[in-house]
Amino acid sequence: PERGRAWEASGSRDHPGWEFPLLEGLCKTAAPPGFWGNLKFWNPAVISPQDPTLLIGSSLVATCTVSPDFPLKAEDLYWTLNGRRLPAASYAALGPSTLSVALARLNGSRQQSGDNLVCHSRDGGILAGSCLYVGCTTPEKPVNITCWSKNMKDLTCKWAPGTEGETFLHTNYTLKYKRRWYGQDNTCQEYHTAGTYSCHIPKDLALFTPYEIWVEASNRLGVAVSDVVMLDILDVVTTDPPSDVHVSRVGDLEDQLSVRWSSPPALKDFLFQAKYQIQYRVEDSSEWKVVDDVGNQTSCRLAGLRPGTVYFVQVRCNPFSIYGSKKAGIWSDWSNPTAASTPRSGENKFGAREPKPARQFFGWVKKHAYGCSNLGIKLYDQWRVWLQKSHKTRNQVGKEPFALLLPGWVGIGGENAGSPPTPGMLGG
Amino acid sequence: PDVRADDGDPAGDSWGIFTFLCAALCNLPALPALNCSEELGAGQSIQQTYDLTRYLEHQLRTLAGTYLNYLGPPFNEPDFNPPRMARAERVPSATVDLDLWRGLTDNARLAANYRAYSRLLCYLRVLDGQVGTAELRHRLSHFCASLQGLVLSIGGVMSSLGYPLPAGPVGPPGPPGASAAPNDFLKKMDDFWLLKELQTWLWRSAKDFNRLKKKVPPAVVTLRLEARGF
Repeated sequence: PERGRAWEASGSRDHPGWEFPLLEGLCKTAAPPGFWGNLKFWNPAVISPQDPTLLIGSSLVATCTVSPDFPLKAEDLYWTLNGRRLPAASYAALGPSTLSVALARLNGSRQQSGDNLVCHSRDGGILAGSCLYVGCTTPEKPVNITCWSKNMKDLTCKWAPGTEGETFLHTNYTLKYKRRWYGQDNTCQEYHTAGTYSCHIPKDLALFTPYEIWVEASNRLGVAVSDVVMLDILDVVTTDPPSDVHVSRVGDLEDQLSVRWSSPPALKDFLFQAKYQIQYRVEDSSEWKVVDDVGNQTSCRLAGLRPGTVYFVQVRCNPFSIYGSKKAGIWSDWSNPTAASTPRSGENKFGAREPKPARQFFGWVKKHAYGCSNLGIKLYDQWRVWLQKSHKTRNQVGKEPFALLLPGWVGIGGENAGSPPTPGMLGG
Repeated sequence: PDVRADDGDPAGDSWGIFTFLCAALCNLPALPALNCSEELGAGQSIQQTYDLTRYLEHQLRTLAGTYLNYLGPPFNEPDFNPPRMARAERVPSATVDLDLWRGLTDNARLAANYRAYSRLLCYLRVLDGQVGTAELRHRLSHFCASLQGLVLSIGGVMSSLGYPLPAGPVGPPGPPGASAAPNDFLKKMDDFWLLKELQTWLWRSAKDFNRLKKKVPPAVVTLRLEARGF
């Protein structure tokens, strides 16, 4: 490859006459082919110590001893550290074919794979190398271990490293767990399933028994163990988001949408006390509004919405109190957003202009009917009371027949869209 | 379509055959006796495989850059060229005598590619299990997935041209410990050469598939008429 562009354009593009990419570059090696043709492992020289681990600030004397098969002497050698030539003043010949180098006050390793200390022959060829691992300390204790179980079948845990700062050495994390009063430690195998610091235990988990869980952080300098977390699988159950989320209009009502869903199938038979949450937003906004008081129904009506707007709706489920667990339970992910639009203003049966009483009603509903409580007979009565009061004041101003109360709005609570009509509610 | 007429036909017969072929092509679905799908498929597969090698070549540049930075200088220096460990070749080398390369049969050419990438994929997967940083792990697994796609694609081309897939062990040879480098620095050199070999193979494969493309262009439709009584 061209100098300085080893990983760039292929040779053939620079030499249009060539049909075949470079042959020369790879055939050039540091020494003629026969030089170490008989060796099992490439071994012209040996460095000691090989791949040591050191503390920041410590010193090191390394030696490079050329193999007797090679015609090289101590004065033919030099050292580099991470590609930089080390000063000859730090060298000492310890024998005819052994050269040492003294390194003082080492800094933390430049890369986690180790600093590259290399012994070269005079022409630059590499004879041997040693990786130096220089770090400041053993790792910090991992913290904030949180776990959750999907449908009581598995367990995923995540944690945070003790310190976020530069550690110079690679830290390896191992998650371990055991049943509280039974001997054996188990090691989690599937890492990085939910982020870098996470692990997944796919099977062989018992219910109704406490588990002890902890994380060990180790690097070349030592080990640190987190505090032990104790939990029962049933206390940390989560499930899939609700399925079959449908959002539909409520007749011609321009400020309402009806949401329906099914309880998550995996825990269908156990979810006696699930609770749900809905969040919704307008199409072009990123602010979600959350509806919290859904309880364990599988339908809800959103009111107070903007007419003629597209809304995105999501639902999630918390399977709390499963098998009588006292803990809060863990919310599932949100379902995929479902979109629906509210009817435009004036899209109702009564033409472009909304009749006044209906508008008044909508305004009143917006203020008083939030959340998922069904707009039932009680609400209607309240509205009538309010209307009469306002009607009285209005009558002092002008005449407005009460009978202008139009039947259109009566559709509320009486028709499709998931909320079953309650007896006594006005039908359509 | 490339129309093939028998040598020595008078012009009129050539036109007749041409017209017939056009008509036949128009009625392709209605003529089950026509057996042209294999070579049409091969032409497309070769093109796709070629495109995949170029894409991988591009991906490798980023992966190699990241990985060599992880290994640290001098591995990430542009003209770094360490000695190769002189033991049995782990991966068949991409570099080969020019005349030898020119003279390869299609089968041999494809088989060499297939074997090489299968081996390379194995070694890369081992690497994937060992690297420390999340970014590298992510890039490596993405690259391995693409490389797997390439192996399957080459296999597809071989099948569509009627060649058997190369048999034999595809994994790293010998027991796992035997071929592992004895120290960390030698392992770094191994990794360097693995990436280098991968790069060379991708360069070479582009040429291989370019050559194959010229021999089986997508536009050629060879109608096997003789067995169907036409």
